[in-house]
Amino acid sequence: MSGQADVRMRIQDLRVALAESGVEILKGVSVELHAGRIFALVGESGSGKSVTSMAAMRLLPEALEITGGAVQVGDQDLFDLSESAMRDVRGRRVAMIFQNAMTALNPVQTVGQQVAETLKLHTVLRGDPLRQRVVQLFTEVGIPDPDQRFSFYPHQLSGGQQQRVMIAMALACEPEVLIADEPTTALDVTIQEQVLKLIRDLTQSRQLAVLLITHDMGVVSNTADDVAVMYRGEIIERASVDDFFHHPKEEYSRRLIDALPDLTHFQSAAAEQPLLKLDDVKVHFPIRKGVLQRTVDYTRAVDGVSLHIGRAETYALVGESGSGKSTLGRAILNLESVAGGSVQFNGEEIQHLGRKAMLPYRKQIQVIFQNPYSSMNPRLSVGEIISEGMESLGLGLSKEERNKRIDDLLTRVQLGPEVVSRYPHEFSGGQLQRIAIARALAVEPELIICDEPTSALDVSIRSEVLDLLQELQREFAVSYLFITHDLSIVPTLAHQVGVMQLGKLVEQGTAEQILTRPQHPYTQALLKSVPRID
Amino acid sequence: MLAYIIRRLIYAIPILIGVNLLTFTLFFVVNSPDDMAVSQLGDKYVTPEAIQKWKVKNGYDKPLFINDEAEGLGAVTETIFFNKSVRLFAFDFGRSESGRDITTDVSTRMWPSLAVALPTFAVGIWVNICVALMVVMFHGTRLDRWAVFVFVALMSISYLFYIIGGQYLVAKTWKLVPVSGFHSEGQIWRFLILPVLVGVVAGIGSGARWYRTLFLEEANQDYVRTARAKGASEISILFRHILPNALIPILTGVVVLIPALFMGSLLIESFFGIPGLGSYMLDAIKSQDFAIVRTMVFIGSILYIIGLILTDISYTWADPRVRLN
Amino acid sequence: MKPVLLWSDALIFMLVIALVIFFYKLREDPQTRERWGQVFSSRLGMIAFTIIITYVGVALLDSLHFRRALENPEGLQTEEVFYDNKVTSVLDVMLDGMGDRFERTYSAPFALKSFEKQNMKDEQGNSIRDFPQLKHAGTHLADPSERGADLLAKSLVALLWGVLIAAIVIAPQWLLLRNSYNPWHASWGVQLVVICFFTWLVSISHHYHVLGTDKGGADVAYQSIKGIRTGVLLGTLSTLVMLPIAVSLGVMAGYFKGWVDDVVQYLYTTLSSIPGILLIAASVLLFQVYIDLNPDFFSIGMEKADAKFIALCFILGVTSWSTLCRLIRAETLKISQLGYVQAAHAFGVSHFRILSRHILPNVVHIILITFVLDFSALVLAEAVLSYIGVGIDPSMGSWGNMINGARSELSREPAVWWTLTGAFFFMFILVLAANLFSDLVRDAFDPRTINRRADS
Repeated sequence: MSGQADVRMRIQDLRVALAESGVEILKGVSVELHAGRIFALVGESGSGKSVTSMAAMRLLPEALEITGGAVQVGDQDLFDLSESAMRDVRGRRVAMIFQNAMTALNPVQTVGQQVAETLKLHTVLRGDPLRQRVVQLFTEVGIPDPDQRFSFYPHQLSGGQQQRVMIAMALACEPEVLIADEPTTALDVTIQEQVLKLIRDLTQSRQLAVLLITHDMGVVSNTADDVAVMYRGEIIERASVDDFFHHPKEEYSRRLIDALPDLTHFQSAAAEQPLLKLDDVKVHFPIRKGVLQRTVDYTRAVDGVSLHIGRAETYALVGESGSGKSTLGRAILNLESVAGGSVQFNGEEIQHLGRKAMLPYRKQIQVIFQNPYSSMNPRLSVGEIISEGMESLGLGLSKEERNKRIDDLLTRVQLGPEVVSRYPHEFSGGQLQRIAIARALAVEPELIICDEPTSALDVSIRSEVLDLLQELQREFAVSYLFITHDLSIVPTLAHQVGVMQLGKLVEQGTAEQILTRPQHPYTQALLKSVPRID
Repeated sequence: MLAYIIRRLIYAIPILIGVNLLTFTLFFVVNSPDDMAVSQLGDKYVTPEAIQKWKVKNGYDKPLFINDEAEGLGAVTETIFFNKSVRLFAFDFGRSESGRDITTDVSTRMWPSLAVALPTFAVGIWVNICVALMVVMFHGTRLDRWAVFVFVALMSISYLFYIIGGQYLVAKTWKLVPVSGFHSEGQIWRFLILPVLVGVVAGIGSGARWYRTLFLEEANQDYVRTARAKGASEISILFRHILPNALIPILTGVVVLIPALFMGSLLIESFFGIPGLGSYMLDAIKSQDFAIVRTMVFIGSILYIIGLILTDISYTWADPRVRLN
Repeated sequence: MKPVLLWSDALIFMLVIALVIFFYKLREDPQTRERWGQVFSSRLGMIAFTIIITYVGVALLDSLHFRRALENPEGLQTEEVFYDNKVTSVLDVMLDGMGDRFERTYSAPFALKSFEKQNMKDEQGNSIRDFPQLKHAGTHLADPSERGADLLAKSLVALLWGVLIAAIVIAPQWLLLRNSYNPWHASWGVQLVVICFFTWLVSISHHYHVLGTDKGGADVAYQSIKGIRTGVLLGTLSTLVMLPIAVSLGVMAGYFKGWVDDVVQYLYTTLSSIPGILLIAASVLLFQVYIDLNPDFFSIGMEKADAKFIALCFILGVTSWSTLCRLIRAETLKISQLGYVQAAHAFGVSHFRILSRHILPNVVHIILITFVLDFSALVLAEAVLSYIGVGIDPSMGSWGNMINGARSELSREPAVWWTLTGAFFFMFILVLAANLFSDLVRDAFDPRTINRRADS
């Protein structure tokens, strides 16, 4: 640890409570930020890590209030300042960047104006020098063509560039402290890596003290110097990054670290008995233009994908947002019309089947969606949700048999039959995803398409759901097409891996091949950005 | 952009045809020319000859859609549908039941309507935005809650009360302006002040309440948090960030009404004796003059469609994210 | 006595029964129950709801119609019973003859003499011109100067009775609900005020015209109360006509997309491009012509007025579905993309079942919000339509018709302000209560406001 002299911000025994009920959200949080070092505050959703940063800036929503503690920047206790003096601190001495740059930037102002606003608020720069300063900042954060980009609106920039604008805005007045609240969560992994590198470099070059708030242990291990784990409003462990990853003290910290990928053990390949075979599958969406809205071109969402999945096998389809992987999943389910190629299930072509003819296959191909909260009708009870498929697909079960199976399934996914009459809003995300698994299993499918089933879940719950999926595979010999953007969950789960980019499958092979000897440059880039402990 | 506007204009054609067919059905099929003759002649026991005479005089003696007796193109043109409805497309509005030329009436009466409606509209929006901004500044306080209650109370008062109350107080009791009337020479503003004032006041309740919701919706956006983190003051956040963003939904709600300002307001014009299109419509309804009602329906639809197109265009102007295609 | 069932009576009772069943069904769904709980946990919600229920109650009482049996003229001995041509309602009975006390013409509230001078003969038989004594106001007074004291005494007695009746009404509620978390006391407060007011009104009306009389000499307070049924019925029936059209078209457009969507969009764009008031006016006029040409269709005048009224409700409903339809279409489009509808597709669930099980229940909040919001808008619209001359039949009491005359009344010297005041008061309270209630319903049911609350 560095000496006392470079402490830039000191949060002491910070306490925050709900204004109405007095329930404590933060129970005495203390953090010290040092110049040139990145301090990572780690925790899952609801642990209070974002509240800590907002409280330090005195930007809490009205429902929350600070009940105790102090935040010192230099010699100044921020909680003693008047609101107008506090405004002078924000942006000048302590700056912030936020998770979703798209919404965090004002959509109707040019990005140049928005960066200039910070400078106008805290400096006397005006006119041309102001503009030049902004362009200089854009250059520093690595925005190409900075002079032109000045008059771009946020939506005209890519996600990575938007986040760079946010960083430029934060750094404009050369603050001492930078608070970065999940700065890379909304970005694709390859871009995430670049933005983190930028933050690391700036920390060094400007001797910033950085508070990095994240839920992603990979980000921590790649970026931070010190780390503190937050759990239910308290810091339960703090250490330097090296110490932390090699000798975690708390059981909870260990669980978080265990969720990181292990790139040494892989699933051995399963039996070669093809269940699903895709041959040059294409899904096109028309682009219409002109007075008559004629179709002038197509967006090739899926552009000639061939793959096959064996029985009781898991095929992981990896790619970033917009690569067409979810569209492919919907095409297999016959929810999207296929423009070319064939989808064979058990040797039968199913891509052109009508509604009625598809019904027998609906029993055999099921799906689990990404967002557990929207994948269940809020007005139906758990029992009704699970029995829906059994009823509509006419499995020929009596009401008693159906209820028996629902009870069995709920027990099997570790929820217990007593939840059958409850409603979705009473469950957490992880529990809902278990219900979704039970719903899919209810019709005894042979293939389940899992569309990012764990990406909305906290890390510690993620592994439980993945473990459950694996157990069920062994038990029911069901195959999975596992759609994900997260390479890190692949090694424990998949037999085969395919990497998708812009609608095309750029590389496929066994999990071991892809993860240890990637051939395609895109796969290599993806793999490089996967966090790991060295 | 141009392609978009042309496409929207082409889309407007089936809509206008629909409007035309609908009004035609209402006026001539549900209510046959014979019925009209009877009710216009005003006697339940009129003779068939009188009815026939009335029909010939007013051009209702032809078949509805197809004329079997006429030759060639006449089979289509020598019909009531062609004469009374299709001609509207050529802006040939014909004559009212009382024999006046509708086109002349419309073109002279539209200006007084505009003279009242345009200031009411512009001042109204300005006042509503100001009131809403003021209330938003006090968001979360007792003042805000009372303001919302007052808005709801103002909304709950019938428009008629605003007019009657305004006339009674301002014109009759305080004698500040004339009760009603409209002279085109001299102090025209003396006749306009009260109707505009009443129109603005009557709109404050719903208008300011709606804008307040829009402002608050924007105040919850992420970029407002960013602005606070920059160190911007609440006032500058309100004017520099929230207002420009909230103007987008305000614009869409409001631009569609602009062309319809030509039509004026039925109630205001009739109460204040303004010889505009609003009172024209009201007189037509009261005297059951269907030729005028039909014309006004047609004009109203065209203005509405223009309003829709203007809305889309104004979107591109206010919101950099929107590109028309 | 012979009961008379007008079409609007039948419809309103069916509507009330349907609503009761609907809300009873909704109890099963915990989320809905929680949201209603939120509406009723606020004092304002309780007060507004009680006021609305009072209005609905009055409207229902006024919808129980019958014709009184006439006593046979002396000397006529037949088995046949003759009925009064005038239709009476249970409400009229409860108001205790308030509607039967006619004067010659205008008189001010609590006045003893008419508003207009009239040629009379004095005791000597000379022709004089003076304000005549009213027939039903202050006739029991020996001296006009006793009026103030008499009013005070009578009011006190009436209020005592009011408190007594209120106690009888509220006591069982108190026993049942005293441990409830909801602020029932707010509702009881309103009930107390309403009951006291009506007791006072009915008992004072025996001796004075509380709100004066109108041009035809009818009691204004009575007219205003009779306007309640018209306002409430118009608001609910029109929405009821509009709902099935808007919901079915909106849901189908949003779910099936493609050409169904195109057709529905075409329909509502066409409809909303026609200036609403003209379409309504034209339709009403056409119906008017139809009635005029077929005068034998209705046996009594009231049935004719009622038919016109129902036609107005239908016309308002049929011309105003486009806004709701648009909202429901947009919401259905959104819901169709959600996981649970996709999952239902993957299970091969039929379109009908998806629509009825997954989509309809999840757009109910929009229907609900629109229902309460449109209700107040329609009550206000009635006044405007009546002013234009395409509203309620003048023989049927309505606030619009009362306001209609106010323009000339206010320009008199001195002004006749009480008709307008009566209509304003009763209308304002109803619309205000409905608007406040709809605000609360929207806060509780609109996902956007719910999210906003969850965030903070």
